[in-house]
Amino acid sequence: MAKVTYSGVRESKPGRLNDLGSTGQEVSENFKKGCLKRADRSFAQGLQCQQINSLAALMSLEDAVFISHSPQGCVGCSIMAVDMYRVGQIHRGVRNVKNPHLIVSNIDQKSVVFGGEKKLREAVDKAVKRYAPKLAFVFASCASGIIGDDIDAICSDLQTEYPDTLIIPIHCEGFKSKICASGFDAAFISINKYILKHQKVEKEAGLINLFAPTTVSYADQKEMERMLQLLGAKVNYIPFYSSLEKIRKIPAAEASTSICKVFADEFMKTLWEEYEIPYSHTVMPIGIRNTDKWYRGIAKVIGKEKEVEEIIEKEHERIEPLVKKLRDRLAGKRVFICGGTGRSFAAAALIDDFGMELVGLETPTYDDDAQVDIEYLNGIHKEFVVDIANMQPFEQVNLVNKLKPDAFIGVPEWAAKLGVPTTHVLDGKRPTMGYDGLLFLGNKIADQLENPGFNKKLSEHVKLPYKESWYKEDAFKYIIREGGN
Amino acid sequence: MSNVTEFPKGGCVLAGINSVLSAIDRVCPIFHSGPGCCMQTTASDAGQSGHKSSCFVSAVSIPSSNMLEKEVVFGGTNKLRTTIQGAVDIIDADAYFVLTGCTAGIIGDDIASVTNEFFEKGIPVYPIETPGFTGDSNLGYETVWNTFLDKVIEKDVPKDDKLVNIFGIIPYHDPFWSGTLEEIDRILSRLGLKVNTFFTKGQGIETIRKSSGAALNIIVNPWLFKGPAAKYESKFGVPSLRIPGLFVGATDTTKFVRKVAEELHLDKDLVEKVIADEEKYVYSYLGQAIGVLSWKRFAVVADANNAVGFTRYLANDYSFTPVLVIISEPIFRPEDKETIIKEIENLEYARPPKVLFLSDQYEINQAIREEEEEITLLVGSSNDREVALEKDIQFILGAFPMSERLIFNRTYAGYRGSLTFTEDIYDNN
Repeated sequence: MAKVTYSGVRESKPGRLNDLGSTGQEVSENFKKGCLKRADRSFAQGLQCQQINSLAALMSLEDAVFISHSPQGCVGCSIMAVDMYRVGQIHRGVRNVKNPHLIVSNIDQKSVVFGGEKKLREAVDKAVKRYAPKLAFVFASCASGIIGDDIDAICSDLQTEYPDTLIIPIHCEGFKSKICASGFDAAFISINKYILKHQKVEKEAGLINLFAPTTVSYADQKEMERMLQLLGAKVNYIPFYSSLEKIRKIPAAEASTSICKVFADEFMKTLWEEYEIPYSHTVMPIGIRNTDKWYRGIAKVIGKEKEVEEIIEKEHERIEPLVKKLRDRLAGKRVFICGGTGRSFAAAALIDDFGMELVGLETPTYDDDAQVDIEYLNGIHKEFVVDIANMQPFEQVNLVNKLKPDAFIGVPEWAAKLGVPTTHVLDGKRPTMGYDGLLFLGNKIADQLENPGFNKKLSEHVKLPYKESWYKEDAFKYIIREGGN
Repeated sequence: MSNVTEFPKGGCVLAGINSVLSAIDRVCPIFHSGPGCCMQTTASDAGQSGHKSSCFVSAVSIPSSNMLEKEVVFGGTNKLRTTIQGAVDIIDADAYFVLTGCTAGIIGDDIASVTNEFFEKGIPVYPIETPGFTGDSNLGYETVWNTFLDKVIEKDVPKDDKLVNIFGIIPYHDPFWSGTLEEIDRILSRLGLKVNTFFTKGQGIETIRKSSGAALNIIVNPWLFKGPAAKYESKFGVPSLRIPGLFVGATDTTKFVRKVAEELHLDKDLVEKVIADEEKYVYSYLGQAIGVLSWKRFAVVADANNAVGFTRYLANDYSFTPVLVIISEPIFRPEDKETIIKEIENLEYARPPKVLFLSDQYEINQAIREEEEEITLLVGSSNDREVALEKDIQFILGAFPMSERLIFNRTYAGYRGSLTFTEDIYDNN
């Protein structure tokens, strides 16, 4: 049988779904029985499109120009990656902070009628003439996809014209996927196809690929590198804040791992299949249990199982007395968690380090990976609501309002207006991960819980936009089984 | 029409529409668009305009049909219908507006017939059929007002000769929009006027419906809002007074006050008393910090409105030397460019600066890099900081996009705003 090429669309994997309201026990049993069916929401709020992720994944690369073949609006969210890139430079001691080179082809009415090829060519011309970059990424959009611009053919033609710049199309059309992490896969598929090109390179002893998205802070990068160096590894930190040279080094590595569960997970599989690079895909290293698990995972791959146990023991000796202090402040508190795939489950494991109780979990997708985490959580927490949703704040506030948790972990905007103390585990500017990040996070949660004044007062003055009747309805009212996509 | 642009400032027309709607109390936009448009349009404008966004609905809390492959192929009107129904069921809004994303625009979904189903049942759901690819945020501002003029604003509203409407300041796009509108409101209120800012004081759709009762539209902008202004006049008999650029500082703000007073025949004694009082206030502070700011040769990179205001204040009121002014929003009509150039060049004492119209970041950077005259102060956006650092020029973050400071009610406009502007320029290095 011919090998099926992965399209980059995450929902193309069997058994993965995006719309479900359930509980930990129920979802786990139904998954085992194969009873989970793809669904949809007849009413929903905005999502994050995959093009946002494709752009964000690469935007900190050196010597690169990023060309969005789209109307101007499609680079709106690039500000988040731009901001991380700028702040990242400040954290790395750069004084003259630079902007990434981002060009939008600005598809307009004329392009919709006659095609956008001319504009895309002009954008690439400008990129090359202005910066003579090593890399020019061309990002597709809903508009470019629907009007049928053949960006592969145009890029290939331009490649002959500009042999010194690698011109790389990325198929991240927003309408293709409901799961924004598909955009990461689209970027890696193109990196493999246009940069690595299935060529084997000479191995570099001790080199490990550490894949990291733009949302990982410099403090976290240093902590992850410190941990891997303790195992005697050399770290190729990619693609955030890296370069063409570092990307070219990917096949030279002896092993790969990732900081985020849905970042480069498919790519690491490809690296194994095509370049025989073994990898560890475990969890996001947030909290003791997850940090241990992540650390052991990569240590096993590089044959450092004994060493890692020694280090973990030492780290625990250092950390556990401090974690105990946090546990005294946090044990028994009821928590609702909402986050991306990696961070939501990591946060759920984290609260167990502190003896907190999970009452609700909102996460964007359910699949084999999620099942492993849910089974683990079912072993600790009696009963908790599971909302498979990418944000959907209307469901979240309905649930939070009913469950009345002591603390909320995730995007604070809506729970704060209900007066619940909030903490975020996504902070690209400060520590979150590894053994040190754990203490920072724990203190953050405990401090917010003890001093909830802001949110309490806010909730007395600011109202969420929903009708009172909505809070009495079933939170999952708009999830429909039929016609799901 | 739109050009290939490096590092564009602002989003598509959808972003502009969303910015305006989300600034109106209890108004809910509904996106009939691809899955990322709610986030993208909020991030492109509100997200880069001083970090505040609508408290009602914004970004991922905006209802959206999230059009995927299925809708692209088979059409998305069914999805839109259930999305509107859900929004109406759970969101406690006074009006709902359905926005058209590129996807819906290209495949040609008939949005108006779906919104009509609701409208006929007495639910205020309005279509805005201007897809994202048709223009930028500025066009979005005009598109919303055109929609209001066609579908929302009422006829036969009794005239109030003390009521004025303010236009030209785009909410969640101009980083200082709240503070600027509050300062304009404060000044005009002192003249005995009632002010519709539409986006502050909790004003909502009802204020917009009754805005045809105003005695005057005051447009604070050198070029925006020509179409809607003509429609206000022809359809509702509301004339317009255009102030061809934001007023920063005593000189231009006083000029603004006199123009409004003349247009509305306000009591001269009251007007002069207010002017004297406000100017005294400004100079009571300026007089306490003479020579504290060192002399500057300055450049400005901003939208036309703010560029006019900043340049004229620094040159006319503060005696700094203008060198280069770059208008960084796309402006296409030659007559609009002429108006802007005239405002910037027609200074009291200072030699006029060079004026350029560039919205491409590379071209902006090159113009500053290659400027032969010395520049010691640059007032610009977050995107312009790079070139200031490179040339070691003092940089003031004063224009959109602004992602490195939080702005609530701060403004550089008017009498009081000019003091804030001057405070920010102070540099102890």
